[in-house]
Amino acid sequence: MMNSVKIYSTPTCVYCKMAKDFFQKHNVKYEEFNVAEDEKARAEMVQKSQQLGVPVIDIDGKIIVGFSESELKKALDIK
Amino acid sequence: MYDLVIIGGGPGGVAAGIYGARKKMKTALVAGDFGGQSKVSAEIQNWVGVKAISGFAWAKTLEDHLRAQEGLDIFQPDLATKVEKSGEGFAVSLQGGKKLETRTVLVATGSSRKKLDIPGEKEFDGKGVAYCATCDAPIFKDKITAVIGGGNAGLEAVLDLLNYSKKVYLLEYSDRLTGDAATQEKIKASPKAEVILQAEAKEIFGDKFVTGLKYQDVPSGNIKELKLDGVFVEVGSYPNSGFVKGLVKLNDCGEIIVDHKTQTTSLRGIWAAGDVSDVLYKQNNVSAGDAIKAVLNIYDFLK
Ligand SMILES: Cc1cc2nc3c(=O)[nH]c(=O)nc-3n(C[C@H](O)[C@H](O)[C@H](O)COP(=O)(O)OP(=O)(O)OC[C@H]3O[C@@H](n4cnc5c(N)ncnc54)[C@H](O)[C@@H]3O)c2cc1C
Repeated sequence: MMNSVKIYSTPTCVYCKMAKDFFQKHNVKYEEFNVAEDEKARAEMVQKSQQLGVPVIDIDGKIIVGFSESELKKALDIK
Repeated sequence: MYDLVIIGGGPGGVAAGIYGARKKMKTALVAGDFGGQSKVSAEIQNWVGVKAISGFAWAKTLEDHLRAQEGLDIFQPDLATKVEKSGEGFAVSLQGGKKLETRTVLVATGSSRKKLDIPGEKEFDGKGVAYCATCDAPIFKDKITAVIGGGNAGLEAVLDLLNYSKKVYLLEYSDRLTGDAATQEKIKASPKAEVILQAEAKEIFGDKFVTGLKYQDVPSGNIKELKLDGVFVEVGSYPNSGFVKGLVKLNDCGEIIVDHKTQTTSLRGIWAAGDVSDVLYKQNNVSAGDAIKAVLNIYDFLK
């Protein structure tokens, strides 16, 4: 099953890079929104996560704030 | 039974792990993460041998070098929660439940960021209260923000925020900024920045998100209020020595007191190196060098 994965990030955020590296390593396709530029995405991110930090990751509607390998593995069912 | 358990995955811990494995000591390394504090740095420009590298890429090189060692047991991500005497050596308890028996211990757990410890900080964490300007500054585009702390980290945070926010306050408790003079000049030259000295942050408030900050004007004792959307906390760090408190001697700042020739602590069998120790200069290269000194001394000790 393919998950729908979105990441809201900024170009300078290390934990965003870590999350993206994680996706690449596990062949997870993701859509990226740069909230430094994209105001609509920024508003969407705040609305979804009710907070103001990046990264925000949306996996099939489940919202994860920050980078946690174990949480991502659980949400994506990766062993 | 290990010869050596290294606690920490920053430059100190990693350097120690490489030396421990190459000395063929039976070594385990426990770390929350790899790279330590500078991992979030946009660019490291003084790691000897590398002109410039992002903190993240640098952390990866440390991890790769460490994992290339043979015969090294790595417990990561995990945390040491307790070190206690056990027979001739020590037992290191891990958060994950394991208990490692070892003849010697090297503590290289570095330091963590201090919090303000004022009302509102916890409630609004992530809702306007932030600790990484490099990461989160863009989200405060056209907003009003404040940085608490006028050291280097605070000044850097102000520069990051000036790229996005329409107004940036810098609050400092003492009567002058301590950070780099050139950075101070840049900030003073910006019409969007306002430095408030002798200001003690007292309370962060808001509804769903932060809407303001109360601070005390230290000379007059008056409480003042700023309307703002974001508060970036840059008030220094504290050593991660809590799990060996009572076991080895600490100084008033909580740093582990070491003999700077050998990195030994007050307790035979335990060494410490890097930012968690009372070393004067807290730098990546220094942590690595001191941790290597410790491992070489441990090797001699075990012979
Ligand atoms: C933003 C920033 C930028 C910096 N830039 C530079 C720079 O450009 N050049 C430079 O030389 N220095 C720089 N420094 C300073 C440098 O990062 C530190 O001196 C260095 O990280 C200290 O290394 P360390 O190994 O002693 O500890 P740390 O880097 O603090 O590493 C501690 C390690 O211990 C782990 N740990 C903590 N507690 C436990 C526990 N209980 N159990 C297991 N593991 C634990 C952590 O996960 C981490 O892996 C910077 C610092 C910051 C904050």
